[in-house]
Amino acid sequence: MSQSSSIGRALDEQRAFKYLLVAPAVFVILLIGLYPFVKLILTSFQNITMFEDDHSFNGFVHYARLFGDERLWESLLHTVAFTAVALPIEILLGYLLALLFLDPMPLKRLFVAVILLPTVISPIVAGSTWRLMFDHRFGPVNQIIAFLAGGEVKLLWTVDPFLVWPAILVAEVWQWTPFMFLILLAALSNVDREQLEAAQIDGASWLMTFRKIVLPAIAPVLFVAVLIRALDLFRLFDVIWTMTGGGPGTRTETISVYAYQMAFREFDISYSSAIAFLVIFALTALVIFALRRVEIAR
Amino acid sequence: MTRGAKGWRLAARLACALAVATLFLFPIYWLAAISIKTPEEIFAYPPVWIPSGFRLDGYVTLFRDGDAWAVWNSLVTAGISTVLAMVIGFIAAYSIVRYRTGGDHLAIWIISQRMIPPICVAFPIFLLFVSLRIVDTYTGLVMLYTAFNLPYVIWMMRGFIQEIPLELEQSALVDGLSRWAVLWKVVLPMSRAGFFATAVFTFIFAWNDFLFALILTRSDVITYPVQVTGYFGSQSTFWSKIGAMSMLGVLPMIFVVGTMQRFIVRGFSMGAVKG
Amino acid sequence: MPNLQLSSVDKFYGDVHAVKGVSLEVPEGEFIVLVGPSGCGKSTLLRSIAGLEEISGGDISLGGRSIVGLAPRDRNIAMVFQSYALYPYLSVYENIAFGLRARKFSESEIERQVGWASELLAIGDFLQRFPRELSGGQRQRVAIGRAIVREADLFLLDEPLSNLDAKLRDGMREEIKRLHRQLGKTFIYVTHDQIEAMTLAERIVLLRDGVVEQEGAPLELFERPRNRFVAGFLGSPSMNFIEVEQDGDGPGIRLPDGQIIDKFEFAPEFPDGGKLVWGVRPEHFSVASGSSADMEALIEVVQPTGSRTFGSFTLSGTHVVAELDARAQIAADQKASLSIDVERTTFFSAETGEAC
Repeated sequence: MSQSSSIGRALDEQRAFKYLLVAPAVFVILLIGLYPFVKLILTSFQNITMFEDDHSFNGFVHYARLFGDERLWESLLHTVAFTAVALPIEILLGYLLALLFLDPMPLKRLFVAVILLPTVISPIVAGSTWRLMFDHRFGPVNQIIAFLAGGEVKLLWTVDPFLVWPAILVAEVWQWTPFMFLILLAALSNVDREQLEAAQIDGASWLMTFRKIVLPAIAPVLFVAVLIRALDLFRLFDVIWTMTGGGPGTRTETISVYAYQMAFREFDISYSSAIAFLVIFALTALVIFALRRVEIAR
Repeated sequence: MTRGAKGWRLAARLACALAVATLFLFPIYWLAAISIKTPEEIFAYPPVWIPSGFRLDGYVTLFRDGDAWAVWNSLVTAGISTVLAMVIGFIAAYSIVRYRTGGDHLAIWIISQRMIPPICVAFPIFLLFVSLRIVDTYTGLVMLYTAFNLPYVIWMMRGFIQEIPLELEQSALVDGLSRWAVLWKVVLPMSRAGFFATAVFTFIFAWNDFLFALILTRSDVITYPVQVTGYFGSQSTFWSKIGAMSMLGVLPMIFVVGTMQRFIVRGFSMGAVKG
Repeated sequence: MPNLQLSSVDKFYGDVHAVKGVSLEVPEGEFIVLVGPSGCGKSTLLRSIAGLEEISGGDISLGGRSIVGLAPRDRNIAMVFQSYALYPYLSVYENIAFGLRARKFSESEIERQVGWASELLAIGDFLQRFPRELSGGQRQRVAIGRAIVREADLFLLDEPLSNLDAKLRDGMREEIKRLHRQLGKTFIYVTHDQIEAMTLAERIVLLRDGVVEQEGAPLELFERPRNRFVAGFLGSPSMNFIEVEQDGDGPGIRLPDGQIIDKFEFAPEFPDGGKLVWGVRPEHFSVASGSSADMEALIEVVQPTGSRTFGSFTLSGTHVVAELDARAQIAADQKASLSIDVERTTFFSAETGEAC
C-alpha cells in the first residue's frame, strides 16, 4: 500500500468523523429552525385564515396591510418604548448592586443567591406572583403604599390604564435586574486591579477612572448583556400574559402578544406570518447594525 | 481611613445588602405564604403577612385532582431534552472547534437561530407538529426544547472546548485513543465544569418555557407554567392553587440556586463574556 | 526633595502579621531594593508607602511630614507595576499623559513632557500604538515613561522586570540603573530576585516574615552576612553550609568526612564540644595542585557554563557546589584536589544561625 493512499484514507476518515459529529445538531436545527422559517415566508404570501385555505401566491397583500394596521404599530411602540425604559433601569440598578457586592463581605454568597433567585424562576411564575402582589385588595403592594401614604388606597394596578405599565415594569425589573447585576459583577471583578491602582497613583478622579479604565474594560461584556436583554425584552410575552393579558383593551399589547392573538385567536395565519417576518427582519437588521457598530468601534 | 470608618462602611454595605435581598425575596415569600395559608387568610383584608400555620391543603388538592402531573410533565420534558441537547450540542461544538467544521458560518448561523422570537415561528412549528402527529406528546415537546436549546449549548460548549489545550488531545491520540474515545475520555472530563453549568441552564430554560408549551400541548403533557395560567379565570381566580403550583415550579429552582450557585454565576457571566 | 522615613510600621491582614515593626530611613536620591522570598512583606511595604494599603501601626513620613492617611494621589509618588498596568484602551501617548491630564496640565506641557520621556526611553516611534501591539520590553518602557513624566518625589517599582525574559531583563536592569543616575530621584525597588537586588541597589533591605534581616550595601551583605538566611539568599549558586567540629585542641576544623583543614589565621571559637556551620561560597573553592590542596572531593556532576564550571560533590551527606575555573581539569566520578579561600568564608552558630 502506498503511503499517500493511507494518508488519504486518514483524511477521509477525519472528514467523515467531523461531519458525523455536527450532523444531528444540523438536522434538528434545520427541522425546527429553518423549515418553519421557510414555511413562514411561504405562508405570508398565501391567504390562509380561519375560513380560507388558499395556497396560491397572493402577492404582497399582507405586507401592504401591515402599514395600515394601527394596532400593530401601537404594539410595536409599546415594545420599543418598554425596552427603552426597562433596559436602562436594569443596567443602572444592576451596576449599583454590583458595586455594593464588589468587595468582600460576610454572607456575600447567601445575598447573591437570594438576589439571583428571581432570574431563574419562570417568567410565568414571576408574572403570577406580581399579579397577586398587585391585587388591589388582597395584595401587599397597596397595603404598603397605604401605610406610607397614611390612608387607604385602592390602586387597580392590573386594570388602570395608567398603572398597568408601571406594574409590568416593576415585575420585569425585579426579575431581570439580577441578571445585569451578575454580569456586571463578573465584569467589574475582572477589571485589572493594578490598572486601578496605577490610576489612583496617577491621581485620576473617580469620573476619569470610570470613563478611561472601568467603562472600556466592561464595555464588551455590557454590550453582549444589553443585546441579550434587548432581544428578550423585544419578545416580551409571558409576564404580560399573566399580569394583564395585553389589556386593558390593547393597552399593554406587545408585538409578541399581538402576533399570538392574530395567529392563535383570530387564526389570521397568513397575516400573522407577515407580522412575524417583519419582526425577524427588523431584529436581524438591528443586531447586524449593532454588531457592525461595535466592530467599527474596535 | 481609620478602622472605625472601615467598620461603619461595612455595616452600611451590609444593611444595604440586607434591604436589597429582602426586596428581591419578598415576592417569592408572598407566593410561598399564599400556598400555605388558609382560604380565610388568603382573602383577609387587610392581608395576613405571616400565615398562622403550615397548611398543605393547596398542594394536597393539586395531587388529588391530578393537576400535579403538570410538574411531572415539565420534569420529563426538561430532563430528557437537556440530556439530548447536551449530547448533540457537545459533539457538534467539538467538531466546530477542533475541525473548524463549516468555518465561522456554521457557528454564526447556529447562534442566530437563538435570536428569532419564539412567537414568530410558533405557528409554522405548530403546523409541522400537527402533520407529524406529535402535538401534545412528550416526543414533540422534547424535540422542540432540544432544538430550541441547541444553539445555546453549542455556543457555550464552543467556548469551553476552546480552552482545552490541544496538546492534551494530541497526547491522548499518541497514547492510542481513538478520536471518539478522545472526545469522551479527554474533552468531556476537561470541560465538565462548563458542561455542567450549561446543562443547568438548558434545564432551566426548558423548565421555565411557557409559549411553546401553551401552543404544543392540550391536556396530556401540559407543563406547570401552562397549568398556572389556567387558574386565572375571568370569573374566579384560584389563589391557593396558583400559589401551590407556582411553588412546585419554584422549589427546584431554589434547590438549583442553593446547591449550584457557582455554576449559575458561571453560566450567566460566561454567556456574556464569551458571547 | 525630602527623604522617606518608616518608623516601626506594622501591617496586619486579619490575624496575619505581614509587616512587623519595620523601620527604615531612605535619604534623598538613593536606590534602595527591598528583597526577600515571597510572602516576606516587601510588596506590602511598598504598597503601604504608595498608599494602596493602610498600615496598622507606626508612621511613614516624607520630608518630615507624615503621609499616613493621605490618598495615593496626594503623596506625589510614581509607581511601576509588575503587570505594567498599562491602560489597554489608551494609546502609548495617552498612557504616558494620563497622570498629567489627571493633574490638569496644559496640552503643550503634556506634549513637552511626553516628548521628553519618550526620547529618554527611545519609545518615540510607537506613541500612537496601543499596549497590546507592543512587545514585553516596549510595554516595560511605557510603564516607566508613565512614571517619570510626573516628576514625582519617589519612584516605587514593584517587580518591574519579572515578566520579561532573561535577556531583556539584563538589558533593562542596566537601563533602570542609568535612569536612576539621570533623574537623581529616590527609587524604591521590590524584587524577589537576588541578582537584581545585588546589581541595582545602593542599599539592600533583606526581609523575611515581615522583619528586616539585614540592610546595607550589596557587597557588605554578600561578604558579611549577619546570619545563615542572608548568606543563603544572596549569591547563586547558594552558599554551601557544612557542619564542622573542632579538631581536638588544634586551630583547625574537622569536616564531616574526617578531613581536617587547619590554615586559619584566626581560628573560629567553638562552643564547648559543639559544632559550627561553615559557610563556603562556591567561588571560594578553586582547583589546587599538589601541596596547596586543602581537601579532596569525589566530583559527581560537572556543569560547564562556558565562563565557569560547577562541580558538585557530597561531604558525608552534605551537598556541596564548587564554582571552578572553566579550564579546570575535573570530571565526574574522579577525585579533585580543592583549595578553599578560608579567610572569606563565614562561620555560623549551629543553633541560632547567627554569624560568629
